[in-house]
Amino acid sequence: MIIKRFLGLDILSEKYSYVNDPVVGYTSSEKSADRWVATTCGYCSVGCGMFIGVKEGRAVSVRGNVEHPVNLGKLCPKGLSEHYTLDAENRAQYPLLKENGQLKRVSWDVALGTLAEKFRGVQQKYGPEALGIISTGQLVTEEFYALGKLCRLGLGAKHYDGNTTLCMASAVAGYKRSFGSDGPPGAYDDLEQADVVLLIGANIADNHPILCYRLEQNPDKTVIVVDPRVTKTARLADLHLPIKPRSDIALINGIAHILIRQGIINRDYVARHTNGFEELKTFLEKYTPERVAAITGLSQEMIFRTALLYGQAKKPFIGWTMGVNQSTKGTETVNAINNLALLSGNIGRNGATPFSITGQCNAMGTREAGFASIMPGYRKFESEEDRKELANLWGVDVNRIPTARGMAYPDIVEACVRKQIRALWIIATNPLVSFPNYDVLKYALEDLDFLVVQDGFHPTPTSELADLVLPAAIWGEKEGTYTNSERRVSKVNAAVAAPGEAKPDFDIFLAVAAKLGCKEEIFPRWQKPVDAFEEWKKVSKGRFCDYSGLSYELIEKHHGIQWPFPEGTTDVVTSRLYADGQYQTPDGKAQLWCVEWEPFPEQPMKDYPFILNTGRTVEHWHTRTKTKEVKILERMSPRAWLEMNPRDARRLGLKPHDKVTVISQRSRVEAIELRITEIVAPGQVFMPFHYAEQNSNLLTQGQFDPYSRQPNYKQAAVRVEKTAMK
Amino acid sequence: MGLTPATWPNPSDAFLAVSRGADARASPFVILGQARSDKPAVPSKRRSLIPAIPLQDGEQYRFHFDMSKCIGCKCCEVACAEQNNLPPDISWRRVGEVEGGSYPNVQRLHMSMGCNHCMEPSCLEGCPVDAFSKDPTTGIVLHSADMCIGCGYCEWNCPYGVPVFNEERGVVGKCDMCHGRILQGLEPACVNACPSEAIQIEIVNVEKWRRDYQEVANAPGLPSAENTISTTRITMPTDMPFDLQKADYFRVRPEKPHYSLVGMTILTQLSIGAFSLVWLLSLLPGASGLSFAAYAALSVGLISFMASPLHLGRPIYAYRAMKMWRRSWLSREIVLLSAFGFTATLYSVALWAGINSAAVLGGFATLLGIAGITATSFIYLVPARPAWNSKYTFGEFTLTAMTLGSLFALSFGAPGRILIYSAVGASAAQLMIQMLKFLWLASSEEFELRASSRLLSKELRSLLLLRFALLIVGGIILPLVAYPLVALMVGLAGELLGRYLFFVSVVPKNMAMSFFGLHQEAA
Repeated sequence: MIIKRFLGLDILSEKYSYVNDPVVGYTSSEKSADRWVATTCGYCSVGCGMFIGVKEGRAVSVRGNVEHPVNLGKLCPKGLSEHYTLDAENRAQYPLLKENGQLKRVSWDVALGTLAEKFRGVQQKYGPEALGIISTGQLVTEEFYALGKLCRLGLGAKHYDGNTTLCMASAVAGYKRSFGSDGPPGAYDDLEQADVVLLIGANIADNHPILCYRLEQNPDKTVIVVDPRVTKTARLADLHLPIKPRSDIALINGIAHILIRQGIINRDYVARHTNGFEELKTFLEKYTPERVAAITGLSQEMIFRTALLYGQAKKPFIGWTMGVNQSTKGTETVNAINNLALLSGNIGRNGATPFSITGQCNAMGTREAGFASIMPGYRKFESEEDRKELANLWGVDVNRIPTARGMAYPDIVEACVRKQIRALWIIATNPLVSFPNYDVLKYALEDLDFLVVQDGFHPTPTSELADLVLPAAIWGEKEGTYTNSERRVSKVNAAVAAPGEAKPDFDIFLAVAAKLGCKEEIFPRWQKPVDAFEEWKKVSKGRFCDYSGLSYELIEKHHGIQWPFPEGTTDVVTSRLYADGQYQTPDGKAQLWCVEWEPFPEQPMKDYPFILNTGRTVEHWHTRTKTKEVKILERMSPRAWLEMNPRDARRLGLKPHDKVTVISQRSRVEAIELRITEIVAPGQVFMPFHYAEQNSNLLTQGQFDPYSRQPNYKQAAVRVEKTAMK
Repeated sequence: MGLTPATWPNPSDAFLAVSRGADARASPFVILGQARSDKPAVPSKRRSLIPAIPLQDGEQYRFHFDMSKCIGCKCCEVACAEQNNLPPDISWRRVGEVEGGSYPNVQRLHMSMGCNHCMEPSCLEGCPVDAFSKDPTTGIVLHSADMCIGCGYCEWNCPYGVPVFNEERGVVGKCDMCHGRILQGLEPACVNACPSEAIQIEIVNVEKWRRDYQEVANAPGLPSAENTISTTRITMPTDMPFDLQKADYFRVRPEKPHYSLVGMTILTQLSIGAFSLVWLLSLLPGASGLSFAAYAALSVGLISFMASPLHLGRPIYAYRAMKMWRRSWLSREIVLLSAFGFTATLYSVALWAGINSAAVLGGFATLLGIAGITATSFIYLVPARPAWNSKYTFGEFTLTAMTLGSLFALSFGAPGRILIYSAVGASAAQLMIQMLKFLWLASSEEFELRASSRLLSKELRSLLLLRFALLIVGGIILPLVAYPLVALMVGLAGELLGRYLFFVSVVPKNMAMSFFGLHQEAA
């Protein structure tokens, strides 16, 4: 065969042949599937419907689901190549236990026995609070629901949080403070219906490309993008506001000031549905256009133009993501955004909404069902009534329901450093790349008595530190549901078997419960995810996030259905929250908050004159655990880069493609490729955070939002030097 | 403008119009206020992105690319790779970037490109085996893997870098506009995948397009459509900065070295040079002792010729390469060099047999050899590789033949000062034209030429200097101090290095790439 190939007799004609596939038409023979499994994309929260093509037991291709209401058949480049993540080389296949510093293969029985023994041991020795759990936004809702019960009732663990705190916790906290509850009020359909679309700190063209598709369907929009960097999204805008980093609160307050001053607010709505208007009005007096222009670096005309475009719009949409959330002022910025929507009554109508575009595929699922920062069904820890109700539903003593949330993610890390937490269970997340201030985190994890990492991939920078690695099935190998940013519940299905002995997280949680001896108590007669879903439906019944009218069959039939969907609902329609102006507060009114602009914590200084901004690129997902394994994506974006304005580069004598070192007060990143570009402002630099090899979180700081505990990733003071050649 | 509350604008002021799409929004309060209740609550059905009507006579399909819509997500590139089962390092559709302006008024525009299905496709014209065809019905430029011998000449000829050699297969492949899907009335994979609906298939009238392609077929960062009459229609944003620059402008990397071609062209030229000089010497009165050099020169030529198919992806089909001699310089080269080898062998036999009229055969072989070198030069005179596309290529090849031919003949016993002078003269001339070529590259306005000079003066600088040193020592000093064999070795090393530089220092025309270029480089 090799000789035939060498001579040119064999040109792999079969591999490169085409067939007329009955489903997708003319396509490569190797991509033509025997069967197609409907599922939902496992990357981001847009929640695109798709099919996995299976041929001879292997996932060979994917295609978008043209009937899915979210994406109408479109997928982003990560989605289009998602099947490659399934047979990636670095999939975790067997449980591994550390022995004499080496991870060695063990049986599931030994692995879970050790987990139960070590967790119990630590809790007995140091107290129940010495165990921490950090999960994710990547599991299915059924798994989150099971994990919540396992942590609270099975392990009696108080400190349980997820990586969702790194991504949308500020939106959650902001929604709760303004509207009395979490839950994004709008729908993607609003992108198509709105007349003005205001995006703040949201680079959807790189991070949620399919939302650009939805926006593209709207012929009448005026798009305004607020971002200090001229992102792909900013370049698509009709109006780009290149604000100074973290001056968004000033801008939003300034807009509100103008709207009130000009009388372009909905006085009737404000009077009937909000509290706090008079205080806000007085408070906003100091946010004059002059002052706001000085803080934001924008011209007064631009501020006026934005205010009036928003104020005069009939159906304005405000969307935001990490530019707002990942800040010490994230929650308050969300409140300022909600103020704008409330002042003009732009909530709950077609097109009009303040909309948090979420990060991970099922961050919403853990928010609703997860029992981490809030109890399942948006029940509040501090409400006795909620605790009783939940205890009743579960048939447990109310004393077993915690009365306050435990530590948030950053506080768990700090508790590890203080030796307060001695054992940690990390599930489907890779903090060594994603958590700020790497050095502190690494110290914390290395210092633990016992670290369990449960992941679909090994090695990852985090799993390498583990005492026990539990191999998990991933997207495409397990069943359940994801809920996307617009509250749409879609079905996730298994197309292929997990590699080696890897198991769905759901099965792992049930097996851990069995080892702990509490399986029948907390997971009575559960075998499959649907058992958890049925119980979750009961638990959510009558709540704001009501799933009780849903079933797997109904979801599959409609491809995706938004909550609230109470039992007995028959019509599947696009829904918006707060259409009646009734909020989830005791008096049904939303709260207007007076939020003050403040400079971000680490201002540039003499030795660290640049502001480092971090973000993403369309080819990669989070810490690249998956996308690094997708060769085409990796080829397109093989390594990190640092963006710098030509004026700064000239001053520093740096040239395009130079290897530079970025240094903050905490650490340094060496030999990163310099991209000299006008898309960043002078004085600012930008680098993507995906790359473990050149990890931006060596540089970022441990500063957190006081309400949401979300890290302030977006501004760190750094200096840049040419890397010394060895 | 210093607005104070006292001069706050009236909401109907026209200044509120936004920069882009402003035409309809001179007064946003009026326009935006219009009710649009007629809009359906569910997303509208997608518009069709392929023509609904069949092609008429004189029409063909083309791509339309809307640069103002493209968000650079690369869905098209991934979808194309999936559709065609491409290895991860090959893209039939690529997304590049150009950037211009200054913060915050900056534009970074993305260009997605497959094949432009040109009206005068240079891939097709150069192909020695006729593997390309312009589909008579659709106008799509098709490539047949079965006919292809994997010479890679189309890669050199296309100004857009569209055909790509697939190592795994030994043949080239390219975008065929998803011909198979089009025939089924389906969108090509890229069109179907694009979330911005920036790629479309349209019908174009061939004659009309030939008249007015200039205005809509060109884009920043793209080689001129004039080269091949590209058919892709490109819509650009209206507010483009004037200083747009390719994102990979400073990422110029040496091209593939083509070691087999380096060796083959040098040895062939050595052989023809030596053979021709020996034949010329044989015409002088009293000439003798030349046969050995003639046999040796021929042997080198024949060995090189025998080895030449090995540079093809499919060596066994090398013979096919002569097929298109009416059109392709590659075919012509092979025909002429074969004829040279054949005639020169006859001449050698005649010499050995002591036949008197051998000199005629030798002269004929010499002519064929020179014609062969000329044909070789013409192969490299392709507009898509500007640094090759000059008279210097012809000069370089001929002078290599003279230098090495002289040194070779000297080393194999051919007598005479004439050979020393020709070696020295040819080397000096070579040195001269190489310097002139560098000056020409360095002073050019053309990006590819200047980039070539940048490569030679930076990454390849020490190799270039070594090449000159070897040329001076091997071609000038050593022959004069009478060490012919050493001179040949040094001279040969110099010419091999020179040819290596010839191959790696060319900067092909291409579309703008992304910041990291097209291919992942070895770490």
